[in-house]
Amino acid sequence: MTEPLLKVENLRIELALRSGQAPVIDDLSLELHAGETLSFVGESGCGKSMTALAIMGLLPEGVGSVASGRILFDGRDMAQMSDEELRGIRGNEISMIFQEPMTSLNPVYSVGEQIAEVLRRHKGMNKAQAWTRATELLDAVRIPNAAARVSDYPHQMSGGQRQRVMIAIALACSPKILIADEPTTALDVTVQAQIFDLLRDLGRETGTAIILITHDMGAVAEMADRMVVMYAGRKAEDGPVRPVIDHPRHPYTKGLISCVPHLLAELTEERPDLTEVAGIVPSLGSFGADACLFASRCDLADDRCRSQRPPEVAFGDQHSACWKADQL
Amino acid sequence: MTALLDVKNLSIRFPVKRSWGRSSWLYAVDDVSFEVKRGETLAIVGESGSGKTTAALGVARLVHASGGTVNLDGQDFLSLEPEDLRQARAKVQVIFQDPYSSLNPRLRAEAIVREPMDSIGTLPVSERPARVAELFEQVGLRPEQMKLFPHQFSGGQRQRIGIARALSTNPELIICDEAVSALDVAVQAQILNLLRRLQRDLGLTYLFISHDLGVVQHMSDHIAVMYMGKIVEYADRLSLFNNPKHPYTKALLSAVPSVDQKRKVERLLIPGDPPNPLDPPKGCRFASRCPFVENACRAAQPPLDEIAPQHKVACIKASH
Ligand SMILES: Nc1ncnc2c1ncn2[C@@H]1O[C@H](COP(=O)(O)OP(=O)(O)OP(=O)(O)O)[C@@H](O)[C@H]1O
Ligand SMILES: Nc1ncnc2c1ncn2[C@@H]1O[C@H](COP(=O)(O)OP(=O)(O)O)[C@@H](O)[C@H]1O
Ligand code: SF4
Ligand SMILES: [Mg+2]
Ligand SMILES: [Mg+2]
Repeated sequence: MTEPLLKVENLRIELALRSGQAPVIDDLSLELHAGETLSFVGESGCGKSMTALAIMGLLPEGVGSVASGRILFDGRDMAQMSDEELRGIRGNEISMIFQEPMTSLNPVYSVGEQIAEVLRRHKGMNKAQAWTRATELLDAVRIPNAAARVSDYPHQMSGGQRQRVMIAIALACSPKILIADEPTTALDVTVQAQIFDLLRDLGRETGTAIILITHDMGAVAEMADRMVVMYAGRKAEDGPVRPVIDHPRHPYTKGLISCVPHLLAELTEERPDLTEVAGIVPSLGSFGADACLFASRCDLADDRCRSQRPPEVAFGDQHSACWKADQL
Repeated sequence: MTALLDVKNLSIRFPVKRSWGRSSWLYAVDDVSFEVKRGETLAIVGESGSGKTTAALGVARLVHASGGTVNLDGQDFLSLEPEDLRQARAKVQVIFQDPYSSLNPRLRAEAIVREPMDSIGTLPVSERPARVAELFEQVGLRPEQMKLFPHQFSGGQRQRIGIARALSTNPELIICDEAVSALDVAVQAQILNLLRRLQRDLGLTYLFISHDLGVVQHMSDHIAVMYMGKIVEYADRLSLFNNPKHPYTKALLSAVPSVDQKRKVERLLIPGDPPNPLDPPKGCRFASRCPFVENACRAAQPPLDEIAPQHKVACIKASH
């Protein structure tokens, strides 16, 4: 197997809370290989965006910091890099798109100027070259009539088109990694399908690896090669998408899949009540506890679950951090 | 069985300023008719801006309808005079998407739940506290939580408060406008189960708006698909999901990613955006994006024809 493009090793991120330092990510390890799509799933507050921001070197200043562990990109530890070095990587080799495209675009510049600016900063292009390339990029993200639309301002575009512009900006420097944090949550399902098709095609054409953060298991199933299920700042389970969905080895993964009313191939009259996962994600202050943090919501929990953090158990390429993984 | 809610030819328009001081009407809901039987759920689906919320608010008399009638439980709801209206209003309640902004942050949970009872005034004042306590139990909140303020609750609990408040007037019809969209899947399941249990126990009728088609198939008996202010397809649950007829419905369903590998629907792409709602096309409103369009589609608006019992479609190529 080739070296992974990105290797996160035993990452611990701490936040400065009023009550002191507390971990928001605890002992997280993962790998991302060139050309693959990896999904992060889990409920709000489980640390998906935090992990993404750490990989971008964009943890909230003065609040969040890497306490231990390594983030190896191309063999170099990003957690040890200076701001200067990170700026050279961010938007260039690793870029990110966010949920709300309107707030990430600057309303007073045309979309062409905003794409061109990235190219001039990272690729040293002159004005004319950057503008030509901006038009090509808009065309590449399938904006009809790109040559005319390149002069449009963000408010002149629909939500789906703005998200395409964000993708064009993110792809301007042909990054090795594209992180998409809930990129379609604010969009209609037909537009979501177009954005997903676009990401999939671009991933294939350019070999860019994609980290897709989403709460939609259907999207994971259709888009991703592998997935990481996060719970309360830790990895609950990871592995290739199909095996994880078809035979989850962690009660949290199982709960996430079975509590959703899915659109199946053929609907029938029957509609039993949904399987509930009781309760909610624990508060941030308890993310460091030596226990399974899912225990308060888990039907299988026993005393050991409540007093010792479960180690990771492997089932082929699939890994689960559950004391009872072999019973599932 | 007669319908609890019978909406006929409902139109709702908003004045919109255009350039050079001109103004014109935007028809958010344009000549829409549907029925909902007592104890059933009608879901309304369609892309953002298609008129789902406006139609529902029109039914509840929370926006002014420029045309049409709403018959609720045998009464002509839109033409009721103030005295009768106050009583009739108790029969329709709305649960909104955002449990954060739809609850008054300065009121304790018990006061929020009690508010509609106070404004309608049917129940004697002395009986209201007991009713509040009963509602708390019904939606799965603990009695001691009655004294807390909205910010002291989680998102799911806040939505439970919203449901308790909606139930406080013993409504017949509850409009759920993206009521679970802001919730995480686990909490969403808890709330969906609660809504279904309340429907069974209390015989409630729901008008259920959601963009999540998985949730819609789980909750609804019938579905109305809206596009640019019009219903383009109406069908019972199994017909709509297993046998959609309108090209827009097909595109919508084919866009939903699924965990089910057997669900291999060929994706029907609809390019571009909907046309400007201020200048709706003369013929079928979907014509500009429809993969099956032909000249006749642009000539006149296709009527919503019944192609099978409980199945209506507004498309000239689907209706015969
Ligand atoms: N700047 C900050 N200061 C303090 N706490 C923060 C900050 N940013 C995030 N958090 C907390 O860190 C935890 C994880 O946040 P994060 O946004 O990474 O989770 P997430 O799983 O991506 O959630 P969501 O799906 O809602 O975006 C949450 O409890 C959140 O409240
Ligand atoms: N108060 C208003 N003034 C002007 N236009 C409005 C107003 N409310 C809604 N609209 C327009 O009516 C149409 C339907 O809106 P809405 O009912 O909110 O759609 P949905 O709920 O399906 O997103 C949209 O074009 C919207 O912009
Ligand atoms: S370790 Fe115990 S509590 Fe945690 S998920 Fe497994 S069985 Fe449940
Ligand atoms: Mg997030
Ligand atoms: Mg709406």
